[in-house]
Amino acid sequence: MQGLLRGLVYGGLIITVLMTATAWGMWLERKLAARMQSRIGPNVVGKFGLLQPVADLMKLLQKEEIYPIGADRLLFDLAPFLVTTFAIATAAVVPFSADAVGADLDVGILWVLALGGLMVIPVWMAGWASNNKFALIGGMRAVAQSISYGVPLVLTSLVAVVFTGTMSLSGMVKFQIAHGWLALWPPGPGVIAFLLFYMALLAESNRIPFDIPEAESELVAGITTEYTGMKFGLLYVGEYVHTMVGSAIAAVIFLGGWDGPFHIASGLHWMVIKTVALFASVYWVRWSLLRFRSDQLMRLCWVYLVPLSVGLVIFAALWRHFVLS
Amino acid sequence: MAVIDESGQAYDHPLYTTLLHVPGLSVAVASLDQLLTWGAKNALYIFPMATSCCGIEFMATAAARVDIDRIGSIVRATPRQADVMVIAGTITVKMAPKVKRLWDQMPEPKWAIAMGSCAISGDFYRDLYPTVPGIDTILPVDVYVPGCPPDPTALMHGMLRLQEKIAAKQAGTWRAPEVRPETEKMHGPAVRRIDDPERDPAISAEQSRQAGLHSFDAPEGELDWRGAEPVPVQAAVDFNTLLAERFGIEDFPADNAPIVPRDRHLELAQTLKAMDYSLLIYAVATHYPKPEGDTFEVAYGLRNPSMGGKLAQWRVILQSGESIASLASVFAAADWQEREQYDLVGVAFDNHPDLRRIMLPEDWQGHPLRRDYAADTACRPWR
Amino acid sequence: MNARHPGPTTDRYRLEQMDADADLMVLNFGPQHPSTHGVFRIKLILDGEVVVRAIPYAGYLHRGVEKLLEKLTFAQGVPIVDKNDYVSPMTNEQALVMAFEKLLKIEVPRRARWMRTIFAELQRVASHMLWLGTFALDMGGALGGGSGVFIYTFRERDYILDLFEMVTGGRFHYNTHTIGGNRHDIPAGWDREVFKVLDLIESRLPEYEAMSSNNAIFVARTKGVGVIDKDLALGLGLTGPILRASGVPFDLRRDAPYHAYDELKVNVATATAGDCQARAQVRVAELRESIRLVRDGLAGLPAGGINGGKPIKMPQQFKAMAGQAYVGIDTPRGELGTFVVAGGGDKGTAPYRCKIRAPSLHALSALPWILPGHTVSDVVVILGSLDPIMGEVDR
Repeated sequence: MQGLLRGLVYGGLIITVLMTATAWGMWLERKLAARMQSRIGPNVVGKFGLLQPVADLMKLLQKEEIYPIGADRLLFDLAPFLVTTFAIATAAVVPFSADAVGADLDVGILWVLALGGLMVIPVWMAGWASNNKFALIGGMRAVAQSISYGVPLVLTSLVAVVFTGTMSLSGMVKFQIAHGWLALWPPGPGVIAFLLFYMALLAESNRIPFDIPEAESELVAGITTEYTGMKFGLLYVGEYVHTMVGSAIAAVIFLGGWDGPFHIASGLHWMVIKTVALFASVYWVRWSLLRFRSDQLMRLCWVYLVPLSVGLVIFAALWRHFVLS
Repeated sequence: MAVIDESGQAYDHPLYTTLLHVPGLSVAVASLDQLLTWGAKNALYIFPMATSCCGIEFMATAAARVDIDRIGSIVRATPRQADVMVIAGTITVKMAPKVKRLWDQMPEPKWAIAMGSCAISGDFYRDLYPTVPGIDTILPVDVYVPGCPPDPTALMHGMLRLQEKIAAKQAGTWRAPEVRPETEKMHGPAVRRIDDPERDPAISAEQSRQAGLHSFDAPEGELDWRGAEPVPVQAAVDFNTLLAERFGIEDFPADNAPIVPRDRHLELAQTLKAMDYSLLIYAVATHYPKPEGDTFEVAYGLRNPSMGGKLAQWRVILQSGESIASLASVFAAADWQEREQYDLVGVAFDNHPDLRRIMLPEDWQGHPLRRDYAADTACRPWR
Repeated sequence: MNARHPGPTTDRYRLEQMDADADLMVLNFGPQHPSTHGVFRIKLILDGEVVVRAIPYAGYLHRGVEKLLEKLTFAQGVPIVDKNDYVSPMTNEQALVMAFEKLLKIEVPRRARWMRTIFAELQRVASHMLWLGTFALDMGGALGGGSGVFIYTFRERDYILDLFEMVTGGRFHYNTHTIGGNRHDIPAGWDREVFKVLDLIESRLPEYEAMSSNNAIFVARTKGVGVIDKDLALGLGLTGPILRASGVPFDLRRDAPYHAYDELKVNVATATAGDCQARAQVRVAELRESIRLVRDGLAGLPAGGINGGKPIKMPQQFKAMAGQAYVGIDTPRGELGTFVVAGGGDKGTAPYRCKIRAPSLHALSALPWILPGHTVSDVVVILGSLDPIMGEVDR
């Protein structure tokens, strides 16, 4: 009973905090992008445009809902809901500090990867159910991309698992507190694994240069082409939540989680700083680079990223066997 | 919240109606209504119906100097997620059905801004056959932004005026402007569309013939755009000398191009192509109505890029009912050029691979660049 | 028909004929699509994501400009053609008035010719700037890196529009050319402003190149994509940067000089690859060359009148004898020509038939030849690299 209560409270808390953080993360992205482009960005709605996400939400809530002719209504409705649910559910196992963790699963990393892999299903549902060719192509691209980049994502996570010898996320952080952050140590492979994970994260959350499922200039709006109102809002927010949670996981696995540099003032705030920094860097990349073509994307993954991550796993195993034991 | 559109019809969101039926919630609903209006006003996503010059100024509005993102407006490429349609540019009869369809695809509540004089009234294209005289003949417009094209700041002002209008409608202080004089609204099409079962089959047959659809069953010919076998001629022969010596042409008017006989026109083109006149510059047909029958004059111009762009120009005179050999087998560029002349002037080209209308809708009647075609010919239902 | 250029434009193909199992899909690209650069439609027949056949449809912006020109007198036509190629209105006006000048046999003073050169080259800078921005937008999306380049180049373009506003009073459509000269003289101190803007643009050019043409993703997206070989380019009547990117060193400014180009020597940039990257390289090289030409032109601008000898009070004063004239000039998009027929007699105050030879029309006619074999993503890039302006295509 106590466990259930704790779960409910923590679940409610995490949804609220995550959604709020994501909403102002979107504001942050708009401001960042504007500054990068010598613009100002939202500055009329509230001080510094801080109320912009609220206005967007209010507007999306009152829009008419349209079902395209020939759409599969059930899947069409379900897809945005599932995207957001999966993205938020991933956050359940993320240890924000030594105490603030929803469910400290022994196989936390598996939970994360499994839900991340499931994300492609609602995306494909959205693409298929819209009965729109642009959405369909977007959905197909999303499936191909997500499955491909799932491989380096899993393999680089495996590197971390082999190094740390645990599949629990808080266990990983504790290992890093004892032995140093994975992204910095061992010097070469650690940072490579981190960068590979980061790239796969960009691809999994459909951000430029890997945003071909959305590709506004080619596919109008990709999978979201036919969505209106709050369902569009959920699809849109789902991706941001996915990016936010992904950044948090990258921070946990590779950047020492709540551990401060040189163990200075460790705590929740370091986790927040690291997550927001990674989140912002995703958008820094997004607003700087152009977009790959789908075949180039696949080539990059299968020809470079996958062999490299396999090599890293082998290296990690050897390191673990000969150095750490 | 209740949104009242131009026709006085109120649209209520289901959420709003549900809330109104809960007792004791009227105060809450009123504040919620204000909140929603505030949201609608401050997050106007734009669908750019950018067709021409105004579209460029629309892009400039989104760029750094004016930055429409400041008031929370972003551009969405799909109508499903947009709140405001900015009609920037001339709307033609061919485009109007698409605009109307995109407008219908936008979810309520929605608004429209007519940007620039073409979208407002048709500007100086107003009385011309292919142009819709103002977009408000087919969809309700909320804000007019005049100019040709309007400055980016003017569009920004238009957006702010739209925000004022939304707020005023919510507050109930909105006064509808005086009704403009009745413009020609939609009527049934004069000629039924192709898929209409009530369409006269005689018209279909005639239009199919005109559109070259009869060639659908014809065996498909190989189109060799590299041209026929080169005709061996001496290089660097002067064009006029060539015409005089090989084609027996004696008349070289000072202000005009020489006239080449109809049956030797294709041969001339092949000869010139072999002499490196490889760029087809223009193919223009001119209509001369005469009591004894219409005459057409088709002028061609070729350039020789290896000889400093030297021009070779000639004319072919067509009597009524005559057709001219297409140059599409020699120059791939002649394909679209001749299609355009066929479409607008109505000259028939023999052996053209794909003689269809290019500029006007396929079911258009008549050829507008003929001298006896009235420039303000009405086209139902859009004019 | 060879493999790379499988077919000409035709709508005779039906899906069932091409593929009995109907594995192919028709995708209507446009007429309202974020990357069609206006209202243009391509019917793409796709096998997966690969284009099997592409059928373009133009005419969604056909406004009847040629009919309108027949209704107006010679002098009234100038503001009309401003709106054709709305990215470089200056060169539109020049192409029209030069044809009328040839038909009416009117000499243009030397100062006016130099001013026209300066305007044309400044307009070329503005036009290529806009092209670079929208091309990056096609590749990077409105919500991504492309929009950065787009917004930077629009910022620079706005400076040039400000310069034109100082001369003509109009930001976008100028109506500054008249038959026989120019309407507005250059104001005092204008050259200093121009030099300032040009220095700014030149100093920022390397930045844009780093973001676009020197960017690894840009190269990956453009190299070997949309190859137009020399024969195809000539056969389709392509001109301007597209032809020069296919290895034909043909530029009317150098080969058949008009304006002041006989005194200002033009260096013609060419590339041989004929792909999207080559077209981008040629355009960026032209940008630098145009900046140099504007500088030289302002330095050597002669004094004198800017309008033809006798003052022209009424448009009806122009009366042309029966005849025809064609003048083509090199605009940012290629050879923009005006073919004008005068009726003579009492019809001599207005063109009897006026045809505008639009380079973008020819550029778009290349699509059915080069699109097959590329993916949907490449369609956007190829279309962008052709730099079509629909106002000019459809007129």
